[in-house]
Amino acid sequence: MQLIIEAIGFGIATGAVIALGAVGFSVQFGISNILNITYGSLMTLAAYVGLLLINHGVNAWLALVLGAVVVGVVSVVYHRALLAPLVRRGTRAIAMVIVTVSAGIILQYVIVSIAGPESHSYGEQSGSTLHLIGFTLSAGQVAIIVLTASLMLGLHLLLTRTTLGKAMRATSSNRTLARSCGISTDRVSDIAWLISGSLCGAAGVALAITTVSFDFSLGSLFLIPMIAAAVLGGIGQPYGAMLGGLIVGVSSEVAAAVSNPNYKDVVAFMILIIMLLVRPRGLFGAAWSTRRLMEG
Amino acid sequence: MGSPRIWRFATVMVGATVGLSACGSSSGGNNTTVPTQTGNITAGVIAPFTGPAAQFGKLLSAPCFAATDLINQAGGILGHQISCSAIDDTGDAADAVPNVTRAIATTTNLDMTVGLESNTAATTVPLVNAAKIPTITTNGLVAFTTNKLPYYWRLTPSDDANGAAFAVWAVQKGFKNVAVVFQNGIGSEGNLPGLQSAMPKLGGTLGLQLTIPADAASYSSEVARVIAAHPDALIWSADPQTTATFMSEYKQLNNGSLPAMVTATDSLTPDFFGALTHVVGVDYVTNNVYLVGSSFSQTTAAFATYKGALSADSKTSAIADVLSAVGPPASAYDGINILALAMVMAKTTIGSYYNQFVTQVVSPKSGAVVVSDYASGLAALKAGKQIQYVGVIGAVVFNKYHNAAGEFAANVFAADGSASRVGTISGSKVLGLL
Repeated sequence: MQLIIEAIGFGIATGAVIALGAVGFSVQFGISNILNITYGSLMTLAAYVGLLLINHGVNAWLALVLGAVVVGVVSVVYHRALLAPLVRRGTRAIAMVIVTVSAGIILQYVIVSIAGPESHSYGEQSGSTLHLIGFTLSAGQVAIIVLTASLMLGLHLLLTRTTLGKAMRATSSNRTLARSCGISTDRVSDIAWLISGSLCGAAGVALAITTVSFDFSLGSLFLIPMIAAAVLGGIGQPYGAMLGGLIVGVSSEVAAAVSNPNYKDVVAFMILIIMLLVRPRGLFGAAWSTRRLMEG
Repeated sequence: MGSPRIWRFATVMVGATVGLSACGSSSGGNNTTVPTQTGNITAGVIAPFTGPAAQFGKLLSAPCFAATDLINQAGGILGHQISCSAIDDTGDAADAVPNVTRAIATTTNLDMTVGLESNTAATTVPLVNAAKIPTITTNGLVAFTTNKLPYYWRLTPSDDANGAAFAVWAVQKGFKNVAVVFQNGIGSEGNLPGLQSAMPKLGGTLGLQLTIPADAASYSSEVARVIAAHPDALIWSADPQTTATFMSEYKQLNNGSLPAMVTATDSLTPDFFGALTHVVGVDYVTNNVYLVGSSFSQTTAAFATYKGALSADSKTSAIADVLSAVGPPASAYDGINILALAMVMAKTTIGSYYNQFVTQVVSPKSGAVVVSDYASGLAALKAGKQIQYVGVIGAVVFNKYHNAAGEFAANVFAADGSASRVGTISGSKVLGLL
């Protein structure tokens, strides 16, 4: 029993990182309707930006912030320079997915050509071990959970309490209608890509801290559980992605504690499939944008 | 049912391509009975050069550079210079097939290959065999213990024998209760049958057996299970990144304390050493990590020549110390020499002709000159003498399945990442435990 309780704690820590990335992914999809598979490679980019900074004496947590900023800016440029023009030309959704897959592979190879194929490490960043209500967590894991919770709260306040948030949700819900209401949807898109890109960057550095050792495949490996979390929560729904991240993280860790760890991801994906059979639009369905827009 | 048809089609196409290229380059129109080639010879190193296992490519290329340097200095093979060509199998069986197929079809005079490690051997070995390219493989797959492919030659022990050697060393060090943690994958998990067979016979216990996925974000739950089993040691096999994540969390959750680790000499790489020392410190890595694998003497003339060649080549000098203590690269070096001498014996560089001479190069014969490198073997053959090649890994006796396994040794890391031997394990004892 103690193993299961501990596993739930480990799952919350893993789920926090998944949620961080999944929310950014979901926001991006919600605002642009683009399934951005480059996201995984952008996480990897953030991890290597963090490595560069840490190797120059920057604190790991400051490196997380700076990595987030860098990838946020890169994401805006990537969207503006490549994806937005393709959307304007009427490129079909499936073609857009292939474009983002291709861009992700190119970025991954660029990273390998610069940093090499070998694994890298920020060194030990986990700090002391804490025992909290039956959970055993490192100070680093607790810091990531707190960071994720803070960013999620900040995102919630942004979406529900500010004009910008309203504009983002309006754009997400119906871009044409939002534009006709006087919302500068291009500017809103830029800001959404900046925010989601920053979450992607933060997730990349947080993941590198968590795994301790990483290489160029870091983000690609992590992309699948992250997309699973986003889909589980209802793709395009940030709150759903938060909950989805936690479910994926906790279910995989509990599965590893009680069964063959080899299948821990399988258990998480089985939950995803069962959930989608019951609720095809995910946990938070499609109601979020319109209903919360009306409330906001 | 589509797969077998695709295989047959691929095999026919590969065979046709190689057959055509052999016809084009041979001088079959002259009066000699054995066809020959023109141009330089290529030794293909089939290994991962990208992906998480990319270090293997570097480790297996180095002995190729060393062997070909010495062969070329001795005048080449039948007047042909030889060079190494990297063939990236990516460490993934599915990706390996198109890459190796393309290399076979497009590489000029690809007359021998080395490498073909466990993760990909099941798919790559049949390809090179169908192309009639003699191959010295470093894979440990148990399936090849009764190999029937004629162009396949193995100078390394099978994985189940390695597993049994892990058990022997663990018990010898007093680790009676061990936890087994293997990364999923045919290479790692191949050690398990030997370990399961040997440990009870040696009076030890396998307290917990876990197979873990590679490169996960966290292994905390798995670590908690291992800690709860209170093992004296971990019998371990995983890539550097997975190892670093797991051991970091182990240290964190076990109040800074770590059990000893027994793993394979496959992990005797700068990447593994670097990844592990980053997270658990150099003291633990140099004092508590034992790397068990095939063994050879480091005091022979063959070893001195091998290490000298590694040190002399700028592409390999930086890792010469680490490499020279590890079995698979030494096997690859010996393998290239054996195949080169078989070419000289057969008076042709074409695989379908010289392959039958491989056993003659290494088999003991009365009156044969024992040679320890290509140059001395070439000189003896030119003088009309018979030879027995006894290289870095010692005397080689191929059984009817083209397998040859020698002795085992345990090594530890030094602080600079190089390796030193701390004990030997009898090969016959290991085989007796299977």
